[in-house]
Amino acid sequence: MADYSLETTAEKETKQYIVVQIGNERYGIDIGYIDNIVRMQKITRVPKAQVYFPGIINLRGEVVPVMSVRTKMELDPDVYTNASRIIILKIEEKGMLGIIVDAVCEVVTLSREDVEPNNISSAHAKDNFINGIGKNGEQLISLLDINAFIEDDNK
Amino acid sequence: MDVSQYLEIFIDESAEHIQTLSDCIMTLEKEPDSEDTINEVFRAAHSLKGMAGTMGFKRMQHLTHDMENVFQEVRSGKLAVDSSMIDLLFKCLDAIDGYLENIKASSDEGTEDNEAIIKELNDFIAQANGEQPAPAEPAPAEEAPKEEPASEGDISTKYKTFEIDDSERNKLLDAQKEGQHIYGMTILLQQDCMLKAARAFLVFRAVEELGQILVYRPSSQDIEDEHFDLDFSFYVASTEEMAKVEKAAANVSEIDKVYIGELTDFSVHEAEPEKKDDTATASASPEAGAAAAPASAGATGAAVAAPAAPKAPAAPKPAAKGNAAKKPEGKAVTSRTVRVDIEKLDALMNQVSELIIAKNSLVAIGSTDDGGFDSQNFHEQIEYLERITTSLHESVMKVRMVPIESVVSKFPRMIRDLSRTLDKKMELTMTGEDTELDRTVVDQIGDPLQHLLRNSADHGLENAELRAQRGKPEVGQIFLNAYQEGNNVVIQVGDDGNGIDTEAVKGKAVERGLVTPEQAETLTKKEIISFLFMPSFSMAKKITDISGRGVGLDVVKSNIEQLGGDVEVKTALGEGTTFTVRLPLTLAIIQALMVEIRDEKYAIALGSIANIESIPVTDIKYVQAKEVIHLRGSVIPLIHLDQILDCPPREEQPEELIVVIVTRGDSQIGLVVDNLMGQQEIVIKSLGKFINGNKLISGATILGDGEVALILDTNTLM
Repeated sequence: MADYSLETTAEKETKQYIVVQIGNERYGIDIGYIDNIVRMQKITRVPKAQVYFPGIINLRGEVVPVMSVRTKMELDPDVYTNASRIIILKIEEKGMLGIIVDAVCEVVTLSREDVEPNNISSAHAKDNFINGIGKNGEQLISLLDINAFIEDDNK
Repeated sequence: MDVSQYLEIFIDESAEHIQTLSDCIMTLEKEPDSEDTINEVFRAAHSLKGMAGTMGFKRMQHLTHDMENVFQEVRSGKLAVDSSMIDLLFKCLDAIDGYLENIKASSDEGTEDNEAIIKELNDFIAQANGEQPAPAEPAPAEEAPKEEPASEGDISTKYKTFEIDDSERNKLLDAQKEGQHIYGMTILLQQDCMLKAARAFLVFRAVEELGQILVYRPSSQDIEDEHFDLDFSFYVASTEEMAKVEKAAANVSEIDKVYIGELTDFSVHEAEPEKKDDTATASASPEAGAAAAPASAGATGAAVAAPAAPKAPAAPKPAAKGNAAKKPEGKAVTSRTVRVDIEKLDALMNQVSELIIAKNSLVAIGSTDDGGFDSQNFHEQIEYLERITTSLHESVMKVRMVPIESVVSKFPRMIRDLSRTLDKKMELTMTGEDTELDRTVVDQIGDPLQHLLRNSADHGLENAELRAQRGKPEVGQIFLNAYQEGNNVVIQVGDDGNGIDTEAVKGKAVERGLVTPEQAETLTKKEIISFLFMPSFSMAKKITDISGRGVGLDVVKSNIEQLGGDVEVKTALGEGTTFTVRLPLTLAIIQALMVEIRDEKYAIALGSIANIESIPVTDIKYVQAKEVIHLRGSVIPLIHLDQILDCPPREEQPEELIVVIVTRGDSQIGLVVDNLMGQQEIVIKSLGKFINGNKLISGATILGDGEVALILDTNTLM
């Protein structure tokens, strides 16, 4: 019942996020972008692609490029485990894109009050992709700015 | 009537009519006396007018109406076709095209009245009438020709004038003996009637309730196929009164007039006026009532219904209307929608049924009682299945193929216009318009080709004086040749003009800092020409409407490359330039050779492979520090795919290398691979927009086991 009241009050300006683990940080991805979550599978290398693209996968007959969040954020390279997942994002105009995360944790619903703008200035690459910090009880979740994230570095 | 649902048909058909008009006017310019062309032009203009009227596009209707009037004058021989008239007619077409564009964009024709054009058209008509030796009646063009006044007289008695053969006559006589009345009827449909065949059918059905139709003119088949203009005739045998039959026919909507008369005797010409007091008996046709009644006996029909005080036709008119109706429909015009030959569909259907049989056989093998697995039978079935899928693929591809005619048919007009604007005499010859290409390719090839033609017209051809100096014919030749070559379609666009001045291009490249003067000296002709394909590299000395803005060949090249094709240039200074565009026949599925490099699999399009060789390492020679092999007289550079694909190096060097030799045009290279996996049909998938790999990877495909393999575009290695 508690959940129920929470949902009704949160109806104004709420968003659902999927919380994923990357390194020791938890990131939230707007559920609106997410098409699908699949287990790790064989990634076919594409020569000469950008470094943060380990390659492409076969997603039910479609070829989908896969990006490494870790490499993009200039963190340690991926170590694929049983918990590793590929999150398939559906991006208007540019089509589907998979991103590799260490683990998928949960789904949270955040209202606007729960989100603080990202004021922490940082020179580290990974922080350029955060457009807010969500507070889910005690937990802090960095909210990924998908559009900045998929932006091509070389441009 | 709500016509919005017909809008799409209207747009398609109008576009076809406009194309027909354009083609015909071009022909008319060359052969002003061709009666067939004039008739065809007239028909197209007429249909266009009718359609625009039905759809409620008054301005478009008005313009086409006036245009039709001009054709009318031409047809009646009062106006001669000259170039100012052709110009005007093209202007007219452009205006109509403008309306159509508006309609496409907003379902509305817009507000442009094009009064200037209408006035010019009317001037032409006035001029035609001015030259007339003052006819008593107003020229038909000036009355709204809702019905063709000239042909009306003919139509009202048409049923009396056509010929019947013996068997038909016997039928008529038999019916007559049984005491039935024979009525001759001619039905004139309304000008803007949309579904003529359907109307005719309704008339027949209504009349057949009262009697039996014995003779059709044109034949019932032609009527069904709409091979008639606005009128058709038939003889009906009925026991009912004439008025009743007439009423039944007249009740069908979109009928303009019903002419009816009773025919009593097929051997005697004595007429029996039935209706009203009009006894405008058909011409004398004075056959003796005697024996073998000549075929024209049918003409001894009875009176005419309401000849509506025939306005004496102002000018003698060839029976063009009749001709037009009898002639088979004008030549087929390719439309924007894919029209599939019924044979292609039948073939497809057959293959699908074969596929089902193959499936059933496999099911049967799988469920044999003894539980044993008959592997030989199984393999046979798999082979069978393979054959079917291959031919199915071919058939589906064929369905997608359309002739390039739909794209190139607008070019003669364009060249004509260019000839005017540039004030150069030129002529376009096209061959192979029926060459077929995948529809997606055809849709996108128009712009690049247009560009190349414009280039030829503007840059390629010299002006008249220079041509004369060089002893070339005055009229510059531009050509467009299309043909199929293996798995490619080749389209050559070229001219007999000046050719590319490589020295000038070199100078320009140095001027723009693309190369140093020293480098420039060592450039090959090919390399120099490739400058022309660079963005914003224009050789035009002055910017014209036609070209010289520097957005040109680079766009052409990238457009064609996007389609998986390439462009080559051959040029000789003073003699001309030819651009050769090579395009793949199909886009989606190709035959490919699968190769292995380390543990990665790659596909190479079979079409580009010349042969496969096993070369001992010792045979590798070095030219300019590059590895080459000497094979049957030709020196072929070697490329180690593992190196350019960043694969991990081999642990031990083999003694023999597997070399896949690929070709493009005249050049060949050898690709070193680790292993050959065999030939396979692959479906090309795009890598998406995220990965900016090198151009070497043109896509990916999914293999039978679900693995992804990359497709190599060997053309980029040349």
